[in-house]
Amino acid sequence: MKVAIDQGRCQGHGRCYELAPEVFTDDDSGYGTVIAPDVPPAYADQAQDAVNVCPERAISTAE
Amino acid sequence: MAAQTTVEAGPPDAEREARLEQFMRERANDPRAYYAQLRARCPVDFDEHRDGPAALSRADVESVLRDTDLWSNETTPIMGSAEPVIPLGVDPPQHSIYRRVLDPLFSPKRMKALEPAVTDHVNQMIDAFIDTGQCDFSADVAVPLPCLTFLTLLGLPEEELDDMVRWKDIMIRPEIVAGSREAGQQLQMQTVGEIYQRFSQELAARREQPRDDLITFLLTTDVDDGRKLSESEILRILFLLLAAGLDTVTISLECIFNYLIEHPEARQLLVDEPESMDGLIEELLRWESPVMGAAARRATRDTELSGCPIPAGTLVLPALAAANLDPDVPGSQQVDLRRKDKSHLAFGGGPHRCLGSHLARMELRVVIREWHRRIPEYRLKPGVAVEWTPSSLRGIDHLPLVWDVPAGDAR
Ligand code: HEM
Ligand code: SF4
Repeated sequence: MKVAIDQGRCQGHGRCYELAPEVFTDDDSGYGTVIAPDVPPAYADQAQDAVNVCPERAISTAE
Repeated sequence: MAAQTTVEAGPPDAEREARLEQFMRERANDPRAYYAQLRARCPVDFDEHRDGPAALSRADVESVLRDTDLWSNETTPIMGSAEPVIPLGVDPPQHSIYRRVLDPLFSPKRMKALEPAVTDHVNQMIDAFIDTGQCDFSADVAVPLPCLTFLTLLGLPEEELDDMVRWKDIMIRPEIVAGSREAGQQLQMQTVGEIYQRFSQELAARREQPRDDLITFLLTTDVDDGRKLSESEILRILFLLLAAGLDTVTISLECIFNYLIEHPEARQLLVDEPESMDGLIEELLRWESPVMGAAARRATRDTELSGCPIPAGTLVLPALAAANLDPDVPGSQQVDLRRKDKSHLAFGGGPHRCLGSHLARMELRVVIREWHRRIPEYRLKPGVAVEWTPSSLRGIDHLPLVWDVPAGDAR
């Protein structure tokens, strides 16, 4: 699975890296970044859940 | 936020005034019923707000918060400050310049470093009353905690707590402190001056003697275009931190603790499964939406919301509470403490997303965790009826709680 954050939409709510610390992390300003765009199968659920917690709908996943 | 209700828009009109007060009372008492009633009439409320219509649907509120070209924050003065407060009263691209300076100061990592100090404050408060078996949760915890955090953050002495409490009360609800709307406005203006003066002294002191703190950072940091922040800019930042960062946390704590005393099963969940806390906080912020509206936005051209025409220049209130309860969002009508979708708008959204959201979440977590660790069983003092403050900041001024004190038990 692939995951991406649309940096134009991300406003640093910080929900993604709190919920899915294996997939996302925060930069120095508290904005989300993807650790590795290819998500290992073990973390696919985490990544999928993160889509639902982002108030800006900035996170997308693809097979 | 959304303290525009304290700014007079037109000539006073007793009937309108009385009706507005009635609205605010109904809204604070039961926002769910209140917004359902408005929504049944029209997806945009043209009645509620003296400054103009309110966007109610999740989709409309999101678009008002995000499309900063169409919806400007450069409106009327907020909370008695004559110049725009920073960054709330400023539009992009200038807004982004300020946020790039401020965001790192309030990042989750920074807030983690502040957590031990906040934990100490909470425990000192609890120490003061735990053996008496009672406290007024509002006056004894919810009000002082964010004020003490603020003093710590700014490197000001704790002795200034009383000033801080008085200032933020006057900023948020001048009419209640002063006794009338008119006297309130007078008092607010006077107090704004007092606050700016106090912060200005602090700036002078830091210029003399720099410290490792937020004020010194603001004085010395380079802004995007290679200049320093001016004195006026720094004062307007500090003023907004005071106006936005104190009562918001206070009322959120009051909303959450009131929910917990009304719902013993939720309190029990917290005690049995402390890891449920983060989800509970998010869901109750959504359900209670303590900050019911974001600051009004001004339409920069003719537009529409849900098909309702909005002429250029109209001030529109993004009703966050209504968006969080939008029936088009599946499951939004019930509390689900284990909800997976945590994309609520209690901290707003778009570029003006609450700068202090990570600080606020940390404060809420520390209070809830430490309280339930030390006082897992508590209830509302018998015979007391909870009274909501009729304001767009939805709080409870007095929340007297009692608990059993086992004889000779040291906690
Ligand atoms: C649970 C507590 C809090 C809630 C519910 C809350 C809510 C909000 C909301 C809804 C907004 C957006 C306003 C708008 O778009 O018009 C906002 C903005 C803001 N908040 Fe908070 N807030 C809280 C705590 C704090 C704290 C502790 C601080 C202190 C740092 C803070 C500082 C700010 C600032 C500076 C803004 C303006 C951001 C900008 O314009 O870019 N807030 N807050
Ligand atoms: S949850 Fe969304 S807005 Fe927040 S940091 Fe992650 S991607 Fe950005």
